Amino acid sequence: MAIAALPPPATQTGVGAWLRKHFFSTWYDAILSLIFLALIFWVVSGIWTWGLRDAIWTVENRDACGHGVGACWAVIQDRHRLILFGLYPYEEHWRSTLACLAVIATMILSCVPLFWTVWRLPILWIVGFGTFVLLMRGGFAGLPLVTTEQWGGLSLTIFIFSAVFVLGMPLAVILAFARRSSLPVIARVTGIFIDVFRSLPLLTILFAAAVVVPLVLPDWLQGDKLGRVIIGFSLFFAAYQAEIIRAGLQSIPDGQVEAAVSLNMPFWSQVVDIQLPQAFRNTLPSTINQAVITFKETSIVTIIGFFEVMASGNAVVGTGEWGQQYVEVYLFLAFIYFIFVFGLSRYGAWLETRMRLGHG
Amino acid sequence: MTSKLKTIIAASAVTLTGAIGAYAQDEGVLGAIKERDSLLCTGHNGSYLGFAEVDAQGAWQGFDIEMCKALATAITGSPDKLQIIPVSWAQRFPSLQSGDIDVIIKVTGWTMTRDTELGLSYSRPYFVGPFYTMTRKDLGATSIEDLAGGVFCAQAGTTVERILVDYMDTRGLEYEILAFEKPEELRGAIYNERCDAVPGFGPFLSATRVEAPDPDAFVILEDVMALEPEGIVVREGEDALLDVINWMVTVLLLAEQEGITMANVDEMKANPPSATVERMLGATPGVGARLGLSDDWAYNVIKTVGNYGELYDRTIGKDSRYQLPRGLNNLWSNGGVMYPLVLD
Repeated sequence: MAIAALPPPATQTGVGAWLRKHFFSTWYDAILSLIFLALIFWVVSGIWTWGLRDAIWTVENRDACGHGVGACWAVIQDRHRLILFGLYPYEEHWRSTLACLAVIATMILSCVPLFWTVWRLPILWIVGFGTFVLLMRGGFAGLPLVTTEQWGGLSLTIFIFSAVFVLGMPLAVILAFARRSSLPVIARVTGIFIDVFRSLPLLTILFAAAVVVPLVLPDWLQGDKLGRVIIGFSLFFAAYQAEIIRAGLQSIPDGQVEAAVSLNMPFWSQVVDIQLPQAFRNTLPSTINQAVITFKETSIVTIIGFFEVMASGNAVVGTGEWGQQYVEVYLFLAFIYFIFVFGLSRYGAWLETRMRLGHG
Repeated sequence: MTSKLKTIIAASAVTLTGAIGAYAQDEGVLGAIKERDSLLCTGHNGSYLGFAEVDAQGAWQGFDIEMCKALATAITGSPDKLQIIPVSWAQRFPSLQSGDIDVIIKVTGWTMTRDTELGLSYSRPYFVGPFYTMTRKDLGATSIEDLAGGVFCAQAGTTVERILVDYMDTRGLEYEILAFEKPEELRGAIYNERCDAVPGFGPFLSATRVEAPDPDAFVILEDVMALEPEGIVVREGEDALLDVINWMVTVLLLAEQEGITMANVDEMKANPPSATVERMLGATPGVGARLGLSDDWAYNVIKTVGNYGELYDRTIGKDSRYQLPRGLNNLWSNGGVMYPLVLD
């Protein structure tokens, strides 16, 4: 006779049991749980009272700011356009908005697998970047010309990041393959190039691109300061990323390439169909890492006078009018960085699951 | 034949030197500014409040920016023909050398190293940077002597500390120094009333005062402990541009001395009270041609930014939120060290 399965005793089920099991199973567990509960409550209530309940939201009430009450978000209301657009001419901010959206759309679209072909991706990027540069720069169809010195804020940060990524990534692939080349000259020269760029601080490279290069090159070769800086930044990025990709290439068993050769697969097909997909899949975590680091490092361009989002934030604080509200401004900046970096991380996680599906 | 040849040689020599003369006049940065029809001037970011800052519309404001506008107006005739290039402190000299900017107007002290080894030329000082003392209003002190025996706060190992020690010791005044490693700690100590007095560079003190929870609780004393003259910087060998800058500063000061303001400059030009004013405002020609500018350049400058006093009060002085005392930057006739050159 089968014995009917009894439900577990009441002390083993329900919220009470779960809490008891995970948080209060021993006396020291209980103490730790209580301490952390108090800590969490203290932090959350602090954020709530300072950041929301007692906060001052509008410029009309700004007189109340700085008297030990809550956060003064009025500074964001008053100066958010400076943070988002930097020194871009005030009347033309709509152009900066559209351009920024174009690049963000390009970034999002190129994350969609539908666009991952040899032709679609470059075309997408050319269209996206072309739209950005044309809109930002203007100088046609009645749009006033805005030189790159005046570009700024979040738009500039996003532009620099995506341009560095888009220029640096193909270069990194080329460098990675060149370093593994069987021709010693190419392998050595690439090795030296990578080591030199990795041994120089990013700041030095950007400073040289902005200030030293114009002293050396003739006028017609100099190009725009922003362009030079992006190229310098891309070389730096490529040097690091190339080593990441090389690690990915080395993790592929030799047998695969040998099999491809024995099947008489063309070199191009070996690279695109066998080596690169596996190399990228194996190094995805470090690639996302590198992308996140690069995004945050864009703030270094401040030092050569570009008004990216961090510098714009400093400009907001750099007036007597809002000098006291630096905490609010920096929190807002942190929030902006968080959105982008968190988005990148989540995208990386999604890619990992997706790639694992195809490979069991 | 020989005489004819001589004439030809002489004539071509004259033409040649004439050509070189004309060429030389438009050579250099001044020529480049005119050709570009816009001046490339420095902006700085959050360094000294009131000297250069960005408003809600993303437009530059401040004492240094007004100086840029004055210079742009003098050369091109319009304050809008000006591009402010933001540069960091470290970047300003390389940027000037590489031609990214035409001039540095960025609270830049005139030091021997910079003047000689870096290949820079300085204009006469457009601002004399004073080291003042800030104190709490409730102490009721009106001079540094009143603060004798008090607690002076300073950042450890800085010039300010040395200046304080020199100043107090030479006068035999008692004092106690409270030194802090970090600027934030110093700030905190000032705002929490741990200090009776804070010595420091004038622009720094006015910024510290404005950012205090209650700015009105602090006052900056007019006693000057030391000074650093700030000049406008150009590349070495840019004599033509340097001339324009020096005479622009003189025009700003002379206008104040002669009581010419942004508001009454038209009237002054119509009925000049003196021959100097008449010449300066271009009512009689000459003031422009000698600098390679238009004859109404000085008139345009005053019409745009006002005289030195107006400019000062509006940006960092008594009409601004920074309330930096005029002190040494007053005209010589008001107890300061500023004076115009002779405009003959």
